[in-house]
Amino acid sequence: MRNATLPFAFVAPALVFLAAVLGWPLLQAVWLSLQDVGVIGSQGRFVGLANYAAVLGDGRFWRALLRSLVWVAGNAAVQTLAALGAALILNQQFPGVRLARTWIILGWIVPTVVVVIIWRWLLSTSGGMINPLLVQAGVIDRPVGFFASRESAMTTLILINSWRWFPFTTLMLLAGLTRIPGELYEAARIDGAGAVKRFTRITWPLLQPTLLVLGVVGTLLSFNVFDVIWLLTAGGPAQATQTLPVLIYETAFKGYRLSEAAAVSVITSLLLMAFAVAATRAMAADEAER
Amino acid sequence: MKRLTFLAGLAALLSAGTALAEPVNLTLWHMEQPPHRVQRMQELLDEFNKANPDIVVKQEPQSWGEVYAKAPAAMSAGNGPDLLFTIPDFTTVMKGIDAVVPVDDLVKELDAKHGFVPATLAPYQYDDHVWAVPAYNMAISLWYRNSALKAAGIEVPKTWSEWKAAAEKLSADGKYGIGLPANKQLYTDQTVYSFMVNNGAADIYKDDGSIDFDKPQTVAAYQAYADLQKLSPPDSPSWTWGEAEACFASASCGMILQFTVINTYDTQAEADPADLGVAPVPHADDQVDSATISYSNAIMLTTKDAAKQEAAKKFLTWLLEPQTYGRFLTMEPGLFLPVTNDGAEADSFWKDPVVTKYKSQVETMVANSKNGKLFGFTTGKVFPSIGAISAQNVIAETLQHIVVDGQSAADAVKAGQARMAEITAKK
Repeated sequence: MRNATLPFAFVAPALVFLAAVLGWPLLQAVWLSLQDVGVIGSQGRFVGLANYAAVLGDGRFWRALLRSLVWVAGNAAVQTLAALGAALILNQQFPGVRLARTWIILGWIVPTVVVVIIWRWLLSTSGGMINPLLVQAGVIDRPVGFFASRESAMTTLILINSWRWFPFTTLMLLAGLTRIPGELYEAARIDGAGAVKRFTRITWPLLQPTLLVLGVVGTLLSFNVFDVIWLLTAGGPAQATQTLPVLIYETAFKGYRLSEAAAVSVITSLLLMAFAVAATRAMAADEAER
Repeated sequence: MKRLTFLAGLAALLSAGTALAEPVNLTLWHMEQPPHRVQRMQELLDEFNKANPDIVVKQEPQSWGEVYAKAPAAMSAGNGPDLLFTIPDFTTVMKGIDAVVPVDDLVKELDAKHGFVPATLAPYQYDDHVWAVPAYNMAISLWYRNSALKAAGIEVPKTWSEWKAAAEKLSADGKYGIGLPANKQLYTDQTVYSFMVNNGAADIYKDDGSIDFDKPQTVAAYQAYADLQKLSPPDSPSWTWGEAEACFASASCGMILQFTVINTYDTQAEADPADLGVAPVPHADDQVDSATISYSNAIMLTTKDAAKQEAAKKFLTWLLEPQTYGRFLTMEPGLFLPVTNDGAEADSFWKDPVVTKYKSQVETMVANSKNGKLFGFTTGKVFPSIGAISAQNVIAETLQHIVVDGQSAADAVKAGQARMAEITAKK
């Protein structure tokens, strides 16, 4: 009996902590979403599921959800490609590789607000460096506003956010690469396998567990990114970069509809929980297959 | 004898008790975060606290970005300030949660003594009360370089036609004739509204609280703005105030609409007061006078404690005394404009080195500010939805439909009307 209860005793402190810092606020959000509170601090009435009906019947929610999916997919694609390339290079032995492995994390450790200021300045048409470089290189005829059109704003945001986060992904992939036994590559070389074949038959399959974990964690992290988007575009132009976190903030603190924002938060949480459960099951199935 | 001794002892105890009485503590929240403004505020508070040992005023600087959420939450939790800086739409938010105390008597007294500029008081007078004490004013003006206009052979524009012609002439050699923002942000609300007030479209509400945005004057104002905006830098749809000032300081933009450029021009550009030009915002061709948007910043009383209210009134009275007031305004020289008649003549204001250097520009700014209006606060009636309309930047959002999505001005204004009506319906 004592042995059976012992594991629960070990995890109990963590569960209590999680219940306090996650469970209680989530319950509060659910309760808030069932009222009609406007300004933070004001009183509200119980309105049942009216806020959920309003949110789900509002095109802005669905458009923001779609943008969030584009945002997550764009970040996943760009970060994975950039990080995989960087990790493969840093996994080689060449002079200065240790320094390069240290330097690459710089972009990740720089505070968000500094990243935003740097990129705003670089992309500015008043003294920024990127427009003149692109004009000189013949890529564009005249300076462009990177955040001025719907298409370029989302693309530019994804590239900037990926620039910030790909060092983290690189380090994770590098850790995955170092766990692949060198003997496998040696044997493949002896069998006459070229670089492409070694990558597709050894590196890529053996990196799958790392990529799967990164996919799950990266999706959850990307979905919730607010700071970079808010500071660079505030969801504009014309709502082109208004993802769900931005919509929640705008609804709560600019529209003064706190309960409606809570309803969007609860729906978003449910979506992310469903994704996390499905991904965890997929990872468990993948593990069992191995 | 014993009785006398007892009475003397009692008197001594009482006087000691008075001497040891706790001073009244006031917490002041303002949103003037730059260090030099905080420092100037502290100097003023130290001076007041020294002269009034029974009162201690301490400042807690906040940010405009957070205070809309933070102040109501703090008031609700009982940790709010006793005095809170405000702008008109923020006042409606705080009033909506019953966190503001009317200051009718104090304002009447101060008005009799100093004479408030009516335009600065109007946005705080509604529902039979005055809800804040005006503290300083800010008004949008047109900024340019005299030398650039002279080189292009043009006069300072007074009408929209002249303005467009001037901007086209100044658009040469890789320079932009004008820098107008198109971001969904407060700065764009302000610049667009500066066009609206110059074409008779100042009111966005009818008397009954319904929205009165979609009208020919508004459409014409948006069209004129969009036409000029085409001559602005391509990244202007993501601009805030800083980018516009940077564009002007680097001479990339020939003209901009801004509250002030004096500090930037003085520290990062030519710093030549003779060349820096400022004028009223040009008006529509069929209008006679120029108007502008002005933001009268004020101070709300947010304590319900009688002793604190008295102490706060004493502090506000002291702050608006001419010898003090000028130093308060020049915490940011050339930006904050006086809201009182004697403040506008105070030596403490005009003797500031920066104000002295750019005296003619500041005089023009003060004159412009007297013709200032603010959306939602023009009819003498204030409706609760203005806070949300302002916070959600619907005026700027309407412009983005034209500049970013390529809609016609008429369609965009129609959508803007619908959006404002939707927000009003939810309030």
